[in-house]
Amino acid sequence: MNPQNVRGLIGWVRRVFFGDPARRFAWVSLLLTLSLAVAPTKDFFRQSRQYQRQYSKVIERRPDARALRGRMVSGIHQIWLPDLGILDRCTTCHLGIAEPTLADASVPQPFRAHPPIPHDAEKWGCVVCHRGQGPATEVAEAHETTVAWEQPILPVHFIQASCGTCHLDDLPQAPQLDQGRQLLARFDCTGCHKIAGIDRPAMLGPDLTDIGTKVSREWLYKWLKEPRTIADANGNVTVDGIDFGEPRMPTFRLSDSELQDLSAYLSTRNAHPIRPYHFDPRIVASLSKRQDVADQGEARFRQMFCSTCHSLAVTRAGETSLIGGDIGPELTKIGSKVNPDWLAAWLRNPQEYLPHSQMPRYEWSDADLYEVTRYMETKLTDPDLLADVPKLGSPTKTEIEAGQRLFVDKGCASCHVTEGLSPQEDFGPDLSAIGSRNISQLDFGPAKVQPTLIAYLKSKISNPLSVNPSGRMPQYHLDQASLDAVTTALLSLTGPPSTRGMEKLIVARQNPEFHPAGEFGKLYERYKCYACHKFNGFGGTLAPDLSYEGSRATRQWLLQFMENPQTLRPTLVLRMPQFNMPERDAAVFADYFETAMQSPAVDATLDRKQFTPTMAAAGKQLYEKKYQCQACHTIGSAGGYVGPSLGNAGNWLTPGWIEAWLRNPQALVPGTIEPRQAFTADEIQALTAYLLTLKQSGPANGAAAAPSARGTK
Amino acid sequence: MRAGALLFSAALGFAVLAGCARKSALVKFDPLQNAYDTEPDWNDAQRIIPLNYEEAQGKQIFYEQCVWCHADQTPAGPSNRSNVTPAPPLWNDGATLNSLSDAFLEKFTAQGGTAMGKSAMMPAYGQTLTPEEIRAVVAYARAIAVPALRATSRPGQK
Repeated sequence: MNPQNVRGLIGWVRRVFFGDPARRFAWVSLLLTLSLAVAPTKDFFRQSRQYQRQYSKVIERRPDARALRGRMVSGIHQIWLPDLGILDRCTTCHLGIAEPTLADASVPQPFRAHPPIPHDAEKWGCVVCHRGQGPATEVAEAHETTVAWEQPILPVHFIQASCGTCHLDDLPQAPQLDQGRQLLARFDCTGCHKIAGIDRPAMLGPDLTDIGTKVSREWLYKWLKEPRTIADANGNVTVDGIDFGEPRMPTFRLSDSELQDLSAYLSTRNAHPIRPYHFDPRIVASLSKRQDVADQGEARFRQMFCSTCHSLAVTRAGETSLIGGDIGPELTKIGSKVNPDWLAAWLRNPQEYLPHSQMPRYEWSDADLYEVTRYMETKLTDPDLLADVPKLGSPTKTEIEAGQRLFVDKGCASCHVTEGLSPQEDFGPDLSAIGSRNISQLDFGPAKVQPTLIAYLKSKISNPLSVNPSGRMPQYHLDQASLDAVTTALLSLTGPPSTRGMEKLIVARQNPEFHPAGEFGKLYERYKCYACHKFNGFGGTLAPDLSYEGSRATRQWLLQFMENPQTLRPTLVLRMPQFNMPERDAAVFADYFETAMQSPAVDATLDRKQFTPTMAAAGKQLYEKKYQCQACHTIGSAGGYVGPSLGNAGNWLTPGWIEAWLRNPQALVPGTIEPRQAFTADEIQALTAYLLTLKQSGPANGAAAAPSARGTK
Repeated sequence: MRAGALLFSAALGFAVLAGCARKSALVKFDPLQNAYDTEPDWNDAQRIIPLNYEEAQGKQIFYEQCVWCHADQTPAGPSNRSNVTPAPPLWNDGATLNSLSDAFLEKFTAQGGTAMGKSAMMPAYGQTLTPEEIRAVVAYARAIAVPALRATSRPGQK
């Protein structure tokens, strides 16, 4: 094209389009009108409209097409939650979420119905649980991370995090969240991090003020180096490891010189020397001659049910497993760990060494104490335990001083209280809003992971150095399920409620406490009843809830049981320990239960005399034929063991309790698995009469009152 | 002249449309990442079954209330199944449960064995569990069934 022609063309355009002001105006107006006409075209091609057209086709093929078509509204759908500051247009494309007939897998996404959940999806919308960008009407903008929106949708695998944003209380419907919260507490994350909803307990790791009186410098060296290496040949049993395979104490990646200094410092922590216990010399003289003193001790260890709280590694057929409970530390190699004088003093009064210890104070005879300590010192040992620890010798002043500095610098004092060093709080960052952190706020460091908050959290927890090679966070070892659970719990921490409206929705955590005063209160603390039993909502879950024990058990049975609990629960692995409780203590418990632990649903005035043998005979028929209670309960040796054995029900239970229990078990023990039956009043009377006739006599009460085969409730 | 104007406006329209069109990125779908909870196949621990919210709630209730008689392994050791005659069906027994409708299983659970002309050893749960909870336990059975229940042939599906 030559320049002359180009000039000619420009001249032509100028003449035709802009020849005079009227033409100019006309053309600009036309252009404006056309570009306005483009807007609806653009909307026509919007993804949400495509999905709406697709939905129309999908529902045409359904048997209930008419009804579905009638309910379908085209255009933008919007759910507005002003209380939460959430605007949600997800239902613009997810058109079938509230259509129960579109639930099956043959319906293509995004049109399938939402599975039933406790919150009405049409009222609450989607973003409140799934996160993502609510107002978006394009797939990528709504679901993924974009420049303008850093919070992508939460994979359903972690969705329980959203439950935890409002429900700060335990939530049985969200097991992964609950597990994660328990792990955050169990691994003492609150030692270094502030975590909303989890309070910092009075004691995290043990108080180390007098650790030098308990263990040797060599043991400390080994333990500090790698709490997991103190393990069996399979590498999966730890000393002091609460969980099978995972101790609560993490690994701190200490160098050899740091280990020397820290072990030197700790081994000199002995402000309160232990006073060795002086056994009765006659008992020592007679017992020490016996060959089987350790065996006797082992038998006593078993009889007392130490294993209810403490586990031991047991190797059977080449497989090592931990047998026993996890309330106290695992004891397989305790004899190679602790000083014998310390052990005897500890067993006599644990709270003298550790005021916060959950260990009950037992009533020991000298013979029992001697035998049990001999068993632990000679049988629960490992001669090779400290074989790979270098010769350390006595600590020097320089080592001790350097160790003290390390104790502070490494954050040991965050979990371990020691005299003279105030506990450090907030050693690590505050995690109360970690779940709403934007990706641009995260430092991934050298980690090669996807740029998402979930990948960051998982990488950081599984290997803290992966995102920050100079970080101070110690190394934990979590399996995949635990890692996901902890990640879920952290994702639920989205900071304080964003709006006043949200504040109203928060379901606060209940923290019931039960610390009665008086004589009972003292014994309750001494025997640490609440470590296993629940009282008015406070306490452990291992053993039955005792809130209404006074209504349930007869005084005679309570006295017998507390003086000699083991004969009453022979089928369980985890049983009430033998406290060797004096008679007067048992009487204090019985008095208190009778007075204070009463259920208003139980008629305490109900008299045994009003139940006749005729009623009992009818009750026996109901028990054996109509309701076949033997499916779950034993009498004697026949029957199932889901529920407690009822062979001694007549001695054990009060008539009022049996009657109220048959009416509504859940009213007495919320969550009990005994199903409530539609018994008539006559049937309740007959069954009560029959159960009251079931009595075993003599000291061998047999399987009388094993509360349940599950051993946990 | 008219053709030029038409061309011009058409070009403008395409430019605007091209600016707006965005590739529709497909959200990657991993069934396990999109499951509320999971459960290993009782007969094959390697196969992990995804559970939705309702099935997951059913699993929770099952492991509290039902596992003692409807499974051979329980969280607290051996099961009570051998003490119950006739032996109750395992909860993943598709061969037995697949042919029964949801409505039947829900009614059986709520009213107990006697009301359905079966063993009285199955107690009634209608006063202990809500209808939603019973439905969830049935949904859980459907999810873990071996042989699997075909989704479209789920009997009594409402």
